[in-house]
Amino acid sequence: MNSVSASVLVNGRSVTIDGHGATTLLEFLRNSLGLTGTKEGCSEGECGACTVLIDGQPITSCLYPVLAAEGRHVETIEGVSEGSDLSPLQETLITAGGIQCGFCTPGFVMTLTALLRKQPNPTGEEVANALAGNLCRCTGYSQIVEAAISLSGVERKS
Amino acid sequence: MEFRRSGDLDEALASLAELGDKAQVLAGGTDVMIQLERGEISPETLVHIERIEGMRSIAENGRLTLGALVTHIDLAQSPVLCDRYQSVARAASLVGGWQTQAVGTIGGNVCNASPAADLLPPLLVHGANVLLASKDRGEREVPLADFVVGRRTIAREPDELVTGFSLDNSDSRTADIYKKVGRRGAMEVAIVGLAIRLSVDSTGTINDARIAVCSVAPVPFRAQAAEQALLGTKANSEETRTAAALILEQAEPIDDVRATARYRKMVLPRIFENAVDQCYSRVASDLS
Repeated sequence: MNSVSASVLVNGRSVTIDGHGATTLLEFLRNSLGLTGTKEGCSEGECGACTVLIDGQPITSCLYPVLAAEGRHVETIEGVSEGSDLSPLQETLITAGGIQCGFCTPGFVMTLTALLRKQPNPTGEEVANALAGNLCRCTGYSQIVEAAISLSGVERKS
Repeated sequence: MEFRRSGDLDEALASLAELGDKAQVLAGGTDVMIQLERGEISPETLVHIERIEGMRSIAENGRLTLGALVTHIDLAQSPVLCDRYQSVARAASLVGGWQTQAVGTIGGNVCNASPAADLLPPLLVHGANVLLASKDRGEREVPLADFVVGRRTIAREPDELVTGFSLDNSDSRTADIYKKVGRRGAMEVAIVGLAIRLSVDSTGTINDARIAVCSVAPVPFRAQAAEQALLGTKANSEETRTAAALILEQAEPIDDVRATARYRKMVLPRIFENAVDQCYSRVASDLS
């Protein structure tokens, strides 16, 4: 019932989970795997800074037990770019002024990546709804929303 | 702390029978993980039920059955709910953001028994029963109003698992609605939440009225006196105002970080009157 070892796919790579009980996916990614692109903000699922994708769905990794991720595919900000090439979404966020301090950005990128795969041509309202769980204290959101809309049909769907 | 995976319902029930109070049931984790982090709960074992097959279905067979593992996104996007159970879908769409809705379950929202639980008012107006199972005593059904007995207190025995919810049938002469007041459109705990379900006869006279509210008392409740006041009427403004006053008599709002009791008392009758108008127009427009 309580298997000794469990593995999870992180950005396409199979890794062994070393967490126990209530270890969060966020702790595992940052402390065990050294993937520090995913940020810890509120630790209560309110701010979205720690958003990663599990089987394509955005979740707050600060509230997700790592052992619940067994056998699933976790995508983090480190898996979004290809080598040193930023994704079209990341490029557009930069040119649109959708980034200032950048702390919330990995979370926004993950949520928007999930949205654009599901809906390549989102309306402003769809973008705003999708981002309801991501807080940004710098940009005022409009540049982020505009960046996502301007990408219509451009973002890779992999 | 042990993390115990349940491959199926029998495994979960065996774990709960063995561990009782020492176990904490874990599905999406959006409430449980916060409570663990804050030290509000300290179970010996987390019984993970999220992957149990067959507990995530929405099925209509006379009554409507919702599996306990149905997520908020499932509810919000369900074609079965979007018409005659739209209060349930609407309430689910207002719980947290995408990240919370993707994993948070209906079973978790109910068992967490928050005074502000968005799903409780719509489930109450649809006459929901809670479906429970245990290894030694089999299955039982409890009316939701008898299940949520206090602030964060439910009538689940330690060896029982909530497997789903059974809602009253709803026909074309019935309409429902959920209204929520919060400071923001999303990601907000309700300042006031209100669900209404109205049924009418062929003349448009209300023959079944159900009203439930959250965030104005320790436990979300059905406002029976107000329901009686709407029966036999066509929901004109005077009767609706009378009903609103009766809800207020039952409400015991408090001052908290989100709003004052005074504000809650002011806003409750207004959203109620607005909700009755919209709900009644919908059900009456279907008469012709």
